[in-house]
Formats: sequence, structure tokens, C-alpha cells
Amino acid sequence: MNARLQSLWKTRELSTLFVLALEVAFFTWYLWPEGDRAHPFFNLGNGVLILKYSSLYGIAAIGAAMVIISGGVDLAPGAVMALAGVVTGHLFAIQGYPLSVGVAAGIFTGLLSGILSAMLVVLVNLPPFIATLGVMGIARGIAFIITEGRFFDLSSRLPAGWKPFGLPADWLAPIVLVVLAAVFQYLMQRFQWGRAIFAIGGNETAALFSGIRVGKVKASVYIVAAVLASLSGVILVVIQGQGRADLATGYELDIIASAVVGGASLTGGRGSVVGAVLGTLIFGVLRNALPQIPGATFYDRLIVGVVVVVIVVVDQFIARKGA
Amino acid sequence: MAGLAFDGVTKSFGAVRALKGVSFPVAEGETHALVGENGAGKSTLMRVLAGIVRPDGGQLVWQGRKLDLHSPRAALDQGIGMVYQEMLLFPNLTVSGNIFAGREVTGAGGRLREPEMRERTARLLEELHLSVSADAEVASLSTAHQQLVQIARALAFECRILILDEPTTCLTEGETAHLFAILDRLQRRGVTLIYVSHKLDEVFRLCQRITVLRDGEHVGTFEASQTTPRDIVRSMVGRDIDPAARVPRTVPAEAPVVLSVEHLTRRPWFEDVSLSVRAGEIVGLFGLVGSGRSELLETLFGLYRAQSGAMSFAGLPVRFASPVQAIRTGLALVPEERHRQGLFFNLSVRHNLVLPAENASGPWRIDGRRERGDSQRLVEQWRIKTAGVEAPPDSLSGGNQQKVVMAKWLRAAPRLLLLDEPTKGVDVGAKWEIHDLIRRQADQGMGCLVVSSELPEILSLADRIVVLREGRVQGEIPGAGADEESVMRLATAVRH
Repeated sequence: MNARLQSLWKTRELSTLFVLALEVAFFTWYLWPEGDRAHPFFNLGNGVLILKYSSLYGIAAIGAAMVIISGGVDLAPGAVMALAGVVTGHLFAIQGYPLSVGVAAGIFTGLLSGILSAMLVVLVNLPPFIATLGVMGIARGIAFIITEGRFFDLSSRLPAGWKPFGLPADWLAPIVLVVLAAVFQYLMQRFQWGRAIFAIGGNETAALFSGIRVGKVKASVYIVAAVLASLSGVILVVIQGQGRADLATGYELDIIASAVVGGASLTGGRGSVVGAVLGTLIFGVLRNALPQIPGATFYDRLIVGVVVVVIVVVDQFIARKGA
Repeated sequence: MAGLAFDGVTKSFGAVRALKGVSFPVAEGETHALVGENGAGKSTLMRVLAGIVRPDGGQLVWQGRKLDLHSPRAALDQGIGMVYQEMLLFPNLTVSGNIFAGREVTGAGGRLREPEMRERTARLLEELHLSVSADAEVASLSTAHQQLVQIARALAFECRILILDEPTTCLTEGETAHLFAILDRLQRRGVTLIYVSHKLDEVFRLCQRITVLRDGEHVGTFEASQTTPRDIVRSMVGRDIDPAARVPRTVPAEAPVVLSVEHLTRRPWFEDVSLSVRAGEIVGLFGLVGSGRSELLETLFGLYRAQSGAMSFAGLPVRFASPVQAIRTGLALVPEERHRQGLFFNLSVRHNLVLPAENASGPWRIDGRRERGDSQRLVEQWRIKTAGVEAPPDSLSGGNQQKVVMAKWLRAAPRLLLLDEPTKGVDVGAKWEIHDLIRRQADQGMGCLVVSSELPEILSLADRIVVLREGRVQGEIPGAGADEESVMRLATAVRH
């Protein structure tokens, strides 16, 4: 293998993309329909569907990847999504405020959750696992208190065929995702802030000794992650047209798994935003395709678990061989 | 044949050939020193003996039989113990828990027999004249005692060969003497000792024979009584240098004062410290471990706040709340422990070199091309031996890693460089180069405050020596007139 090809293979995002392509090819082959019926998996409508739901995970996974690269972990994104979605839905559908007010308030709750996580991690010096576990409980709890456990319905107040920014509603999340992923990938690669995050995750003491504002950078990461999660939650309720306090339950672990599958190291210092987003797509395809396989209904969680382990093990194997 | 023989041991890590067929004998019951520059292959060879690294070729023979060293456990079972340079202890367990970790004495069904382990530990500690309890938590022990617990662990199980890898790096003189007394006793009991060290005075004090490795090859094995430290250094580096030679420099009397500290106090580390550094001057801060030297530097750098006292920089009073402010004002700190405090092993050499945040191209964005150019220039200027600026720092030898930690500050052009043990764990050749680089920075007008516990280093570098003992300044001596005795007298408060 020549050097360029080798360095290409080592670009972690590309190997994740390769896995994704392999996965799509597999399901396309496996679910190939008989006769001239339409393909149940490989068609435009299904592609948009996968993108629409994966993007909700993806937006939050951008933040999760950055937290993990900084050497921390964030368990709150699912709950923060729920709280932000509930606040937006409650203000818009029940209190009758304009949608913009609801969206702003939803994202504001994300900001507050992030500030709380950041304070617990940076000022109180709690381990990130504990701090964000607490914030997860608090955010989810407030979401239940606000809704008193009831559904709310936004779709009846939205105009029929509503197009945010002139886009079909289905395209909202993917477009937001692509823009944010590009922006944050660029920030992580080419800006002092991103470099500082990598440095802190690699060696926090050395970062302090090198004059990096460790506290401020870490705080900013948790705040950005929570704001991104809240944005994802707001988009979720808007495109679904309804919501409840238990929405996005368990998302946090899928989001962390996506970041890890995309190359992030839970010991900090390694990973990428784009990798994490590709990771959410790998899971999105699995979640979409597995239920279409007859008899696989009860196997999908198991398969998802196996995929996480296999990808990470193969990744470590390649890394060790490369070293 | 009695004793231990290394026979054509080879080992490669990727493209790096760490050991190129090393063969030499170690007599049974002798204390054998293994010396060489960093990267010479000493540690790899010892790791082979301890069963941690499996060699690509060659064999090890003990008392005429080939040793099977496929795991650390196998080495231990054959009576080979190793005391590691880095503390490999469980700080959360007791002394007895550490000594028996992985080899617990158990009764029926795997139940631990604590009383027996505790009793055996107590006996062992007594033998070593260690006044600690078997139930003490290891985290609560001093560094020296932790080091001795490691030795106790190696000795708990019929150890016939004991490897010591730089055991005195963190020890004071008194603690070192205690350790040596123990090693003498072990030798009399017939234990074969292999002593890996950079400190040649210790090697000559302790060992009967000295083996020198260079670039993964065996250069020679010498009788300690028939050679000199100078000859050993020459075979280590392959050329003739005297690292302790003093290079005379003069600091112009009118050079402005860069740093002046008055009555600075942070209890319990230091009290009422006053000193000054002029532009272009190298001030040596000497004190034994525990004298408050590192804490003083870290306080100057804004990592901690002083309780009282004043500090001024270039004539203006300053008070740093964070390292960021100190860096902006023109200070830089090269910390003592480069692994823990200086380097980012997930980042390339290039990124390590350009990291100190204040001097990137813009306040926000990174200019990739300029970064590459600057780091390339630093690598050349500082003669950092690396496969390239994109190489990870763990592919560099200790001395070159240390150069990276120092060089990364110079893009910021500080006016005062604080250096904490700048050549700790660095081989002789690199030490000499680092001294030269410090002198060159001073010649260009940078003030340097160098902390070192190595007296020869202070004597060879410093224009002025400030001696610290138990957090208080004991006195100042001009570098030109200083000798070991005068400095040591102040540092240990011995009056003759």
C-alpha cells in the first residue's frame, strides 16, 4: 500500500464512512425485493426518514463527541432534549405563545442545563459522570412536572404543509446537522478552542501548566453540548408535531455509543465531530433496517450491542497495527 | 555456568531496533550496573528480564538453564523481581495488601488469610528497617517509603535477582543512603542486583561491575575499580564530554532586574522568600527534596496564590491569579514532571510545540502553514531528534521530550524562564545540550531561574546560587566562587 492510501485509511472518519457504506450495501442486498416491487430499504423516502431521525441524534452527538474528547462524559443529552422539547411544546401548544418564543425558551433551558453541568464539573469538581447524571435527573424531572405527564400537540397549531425557512419539515434536522457538524469540525480542527479541548483531554495537568484556561474551556464544552441537545429536542417536537415528557428516553447512551463508534476515546484526547455524526447514521440505518427483517424484531437491541463492540474492537486492532 | 547471561537478545518496536543482539554475563551475587543514554535499550532489556517484554530473538540463561520469561508472573516465579522507576503500587491498598497483591495467601475457598500476610509483612518491614505499619495505606507514605515497599514486594517471594530501575530519582540523600544500606545487606545474602541508573556517583559507590549500552548494543562491561566515571561517560555517548564543566559567563552589572520577589510566603511550603533575577542571568535555586522549590516556582507562575509578600516583574508590581496572566506578562514554566505536566501524548510534536495558547497566529484561528513552519524551525534550532513534526511525543527519547517541553515556550518569547529540574531523567549527552540551550537563551537576555536537586548541574549553570532549606532562603553564593561543600553546607545547615 502506498503512503497516501495508508494515511487515507488511517483517517478515522473515512473508515467510519466505509463501515456505513458496507452496512447500507448489506441491507440493500439482504432486503432486495422479489419481482419488481419497490425496494423497502433502498429508496429516497426511506433515506430521508433515516436522515430525519438520525439527525436528531447527530446534533446532540456533536456535543457528546466534544465532551468525550475533553476527557469527560455527558449523560444528560436525552433528558435535556426532552426538557427543551417540552418547554417549547408547552409554551406554544398550551400557553399559546408564538413558536419563536417557545423555541427560544426551549434552547434557553438547554443553556441553563449546560451551565449547571459546567458548574458541577468545573467549580464543584464533581466527576462528569455524576454531575451529568444529576442534571439528567433534574431535567427529566422538570419535564414531567411541566407536562404533568400529559401529551401535547403542536401540529394542530402549525399551518398545514408548514415549511420552516421554506424547507420541507423533514429536511430541517438534516440541514441543521450538516451545518453544525461542519462548523464544529472546523472549530475543533482549526481553532485554539478545539485544540485546547484535545489538549485537556490528553493531559489536563499539562494543559493547566501550558496556560490553557482549563476551567473555562471545559465549562464551554458542557454548555455547548447541552445547547446542541436542546436544539435537537426542539426540532424533535416541531417535526413530530407532538411530545411528552418521556421523549428521547435512553438517547444518551446511543449518542455516546455513536461518538465512540465514530472514533472518540472515552479516556479523552481522541475523536471527531464528523465521526460521531457518521456513528449516529450507522445506528440510524440499523434502527431502520432491522425491523424490516422478518423475525428480527426481538434481536435488534442485541445486534446494536454487538455492532458497537465489534467496531470498537476492530478500531483498536487497526490502531495497534498502525503503531 | 553460574550467574545470569544475556545471549544475543534482540527486540524491535515497529521500525525501531531497541536491542540489537545484546550479550553479557552477570555474576551471581554481584551488584551489576547497567548504564547508557536514554534510548540505549536499558529499560527494554530489563523489561525482557522481568517478563514484560518478549524478545524477538536470543535467550537468557540463569545457572546454566534457559529462562522461560513469557510473563511477569513467570519471571517472579523464577525469582526475578523488579522495582520500577515509576511507582507501580496500589495507593488505595495497605502495605501488606500491596506486597501480596496478586499472590495473596489464601485458605479454603480462596478466603484471604489477612493475619498471616500482615505478620509476614511486618517481619519483612522490620528486616528492611522500615518504620511503617503493615496496615498503613500506601497513599499515606512518603515517596521514599513507597519505593522501599516496592523493594519489599520484590523480596517477599524468594527473590534471587532484583532489578532496580532508577530507584533514587525521587529520594533525598538520607533516603538514598538508607536504600543503599539495604541493598548492601541483600547482596550479602546472595541476591544478584542489577542497578539501572544515570547517576554515576551512585553506580561507583554501589556496583562491582558496570555494563554500558549504546543504541541497543553492548559497548562493554567494566570493573568499577578499574575505570573512571569519565571513561564510562565517554563509552555511553561515544565522545568525550564533561557535563559538570563550568562555562564562564558574565552578566553585565547594569542588566535590569526582571523578577524581584520580596517576603513571599505560602505556608507550609515556603516562608519569607526574597530573591531577584536579572535579564540574562541564570539563577540557580538549590534545595533538597521537600525544601519548597517546586512550590515556589509554581506560585511565581500563578498556579497558586501566595499568602503574603510581593512580586514585581520588570519593575512593576504583579500578582498572578492564573498561569495565563503569568504567560501574558512574560513568564514561562518548564515543569518538573514532563509526562504529567508537560506533554500531550495524544497530540503530535508539532501541536505540542505550538500549544501555549497565547502565541497562536490569531486570537482564535490556527494558521496551519505558519504552525508547521514554526514547529519545524524549533525542531531544527533545538536539535530535537524526531522522525518529523507529526510524530507523537512518545516516539522521542526523554531528552528530546524535555527539549519539546522547553522549546514550546520560546515562540512566546518570555523574559523569564522558570525551569524545574530541567534535566531530570535525561541522559548525559542531552543534559549537556539542554544546559547549552539554557545558556544561549540567557545570552539573548532572558532571565532564568533554575531549580535543581543536582548539585553539579547548579554549579555548572548558575551565575548566582540561592539555597533553600525547609522553605526558607539560607543564603546566596555567586556561581563562580561556589563549590559543592559551600552549597551543601547551607542546604543541610551543617556548620563546620
